[in-house]
Amino acid sequence: MGIKQLAKLISDYAPRAHKEQDVKAFFGRRIALDASMSIYQFLVAVRTADSANLTNEAGEVTSHLSGVFYRTIKLLELGIKPVYVFDGKPPEMKASELAKRRARRAEDEAAAAQAKEEGDAERFAKHARRVNKVTDETMQSVKRLLRLMGMPVVEAPAEAEAQCAALATADLVYASASEDMDAITFGTPILIRNLFGSLSSAAEKKARKPSEFYLQLALEDLGVSMSQFIDVCILCGCDYTSTIPKIGPRTALNLVKQHGDIEGVLRHLESTKHVVPDDFDPAGARRIFQHPHVLPAEEVAPLLEWKAPDEEGIMQFLVKENNFNESMVRKAIERMQKASRSGAANQSRLDAFFKAKPAHTQPVDEKTKVRRPLKQAKR
Amino acid sequence: MFEARFTEASLLKKILDAIKDLVQDANFECNESGVALQAMDNAHVSLVSLLLRGEGFDLYRVDKPESLGINLNSMSKIMRCAGNNDSVTMDKVESADTVRFLFESPSADRMSEFHLKLMDIDSETLEIPEAMYHAEVELPSAELRRIVADLVTMGDSVRVSVSKEGVRFTVKGDEGSGSVILRQSTGVDKPEDAIHVLMNEPVEQSFALKYLNLFCKAAPLSARVQIKLSRDAPLLVNYAMSNVGHLAFYLAPKIGDEEDEQ
Repeated sequence: MGIKQLAKLISDYAPRAHKEQDVKAFFGRRIALDASMSIYQFLVAVRTADSANLTNEAGEVTSHLSGVFYRTIKLLELGIKPVYVFDGKPPEMKASELAKRRARRAEDEAAAAQAKEEGDAERFAKHARRVNKVTDETMQSVKRLLRLMGMPVVEAPAEAEAQCAALATADLVYASASEDMDAITFGTPILIRNLFGSLSSAAEKKARKPSEFYLQLALEDLGVSMSQFIDVCILCGCDYTSTIPKIGPRTALNLVKQHGDIEGVLRHLESTKHVVPDDFDPAGARRIFQHPHVLPAEEVAPLLEWKAPDEEGIMQFLVKENNFNESMVRKAIERMQKASRSGAANQSRLDAFFKAKPAHTQPVDEKTKVRRPLKQAKR
Repeated sequence: MFEARFTEASLLKKILDAIKDLVQDANFECNESGVALQAMDNAHVSLVSLLLRGEGFDLYRVDKPESLGINLNSMSKIMRCAGNNDSVTMDKVESADTVRFLFESPSADRMSEFHLKLMDIDSETLEIPEAMYHAEVELPSAELRRIVADLVTMGDSVRVSVSKEGVRFTVKGDEGSGSVILRQSTGVDKPEDAIHVLMNEPVEQSFALKYLNLFCKAAPLSARVQIKLSRDAPLLVNYAMSNVGHLAFYLAPKIGDEEDEQ
């Protein structure tokens, strides 16, 4: 579930570190995508009119394949080079979080079944959308599809977001893309949210623009060091340990700034009425954020190749095995080949040659960003 | 207070026509020496660099350097309200959040004024190094426009190669291929048609025709255009406006295109 309300904390207290971005600005960039997050999104979003997932003849869900296939092609057409990073074994400390998610899913499943029985379509849609098991099989089929498409696939030993962050830190990719904020706590210099938002159907297009979060600017403007930032994130609530009741993001930030680190904060809390739960283990969570289990960059670097799609392989997999429409898949493959031919693939960016002058430090007011009268902008 | 007057609106109109399809919003940086604009397209593949020297204006006054954030499409709409021979005055008082455009007909019997809201544009400025280029070509701007317009119908990218024989533009597309070669010529009868090729080292580099085609919209600004290129470096296409300044475009090259070219 990521870090609770971290995005809001950054937008409120470090507005320079959060910027809406036109999706075209990612032209020519390599971007590491948290695969399970993307797949989950597709399972939620790619549905038929009556809120059911797309399925093949055998009744197996194929929404994720459709989502991965068509959106990856859109990314390529935009000149973006995606690197899909898959989760490995979750850290043991995440067990309780995962158990909670399982319980929630069971509830939704039951609620959906009940709603279906009662014929309440709206309520069924609401719950059915939430019931999404990303199984090992789901992952394997996506990996197979991506490899047929010639896309690089990275299998993280543990958390995908930590691996994305490691790739971005090593400058193998420009940024990590995920909806969770974890990647920034894992140290990605740039995090992109809503990358797919702008690629979806026309109706949604306007509502959701991708946004970028910059770690360095966030640290500067929040006034904390990286290790303090991690401590703030742990206090906000992360996947690896419980939280202290009645401490929200703002309090977390102030406390860490006042007392240096979580240990200092805990000493301070002894004299207050805050109850620290027994299973609160900041040191363990911190260890995961600071020293995550990831593949070293030099091991991943040779994997980052974008090859030509295996046309027959894709046809076999999507059309023969999963009942995709043949002419639509053919057309999509053509688009993919055109994207690489038209040279979106080999067009370089100007900022690879000319260095950016230091950005002006004027803070940007998010809400009225574009049409803000200059009067207010005066320093 | 910022105030600048042009004798003829047509120049400003032509400049806007040349850049508004490439860049949506840009800051006009106004200081004592003149007005400068630098902006990249959305994809950060090309860059527009405009300079209008203070001396080039009829009247030019800047009390304090100002940065005017302008939506070029909106400005273009306003400029369309000016007659080609009208004079244009742009002005802004320090605390204002709009810039005023004042158009006066040559006979001074018609005056119109428009106010344009300014924007706060958060844009990256790039440091452009003063580079030595491997090759420079100077040719009539109409000639470049024609070549690009011809080739863009055939393919997406053009390979520009400068060698001892001259400069060659090659295109390869789905339907076929083509090339145009220009040789050095002094233009004995018509010096404005001369083609100068200066080569320090042979260069061969691919560029997206889509962008070059947009750059060529600047042709009405200047009869001559300069192209400068180096191996593995951006291309410079420069339109010099005599006594006024220049409009220059930079374009990042295509990389790793060689295999399918040879």
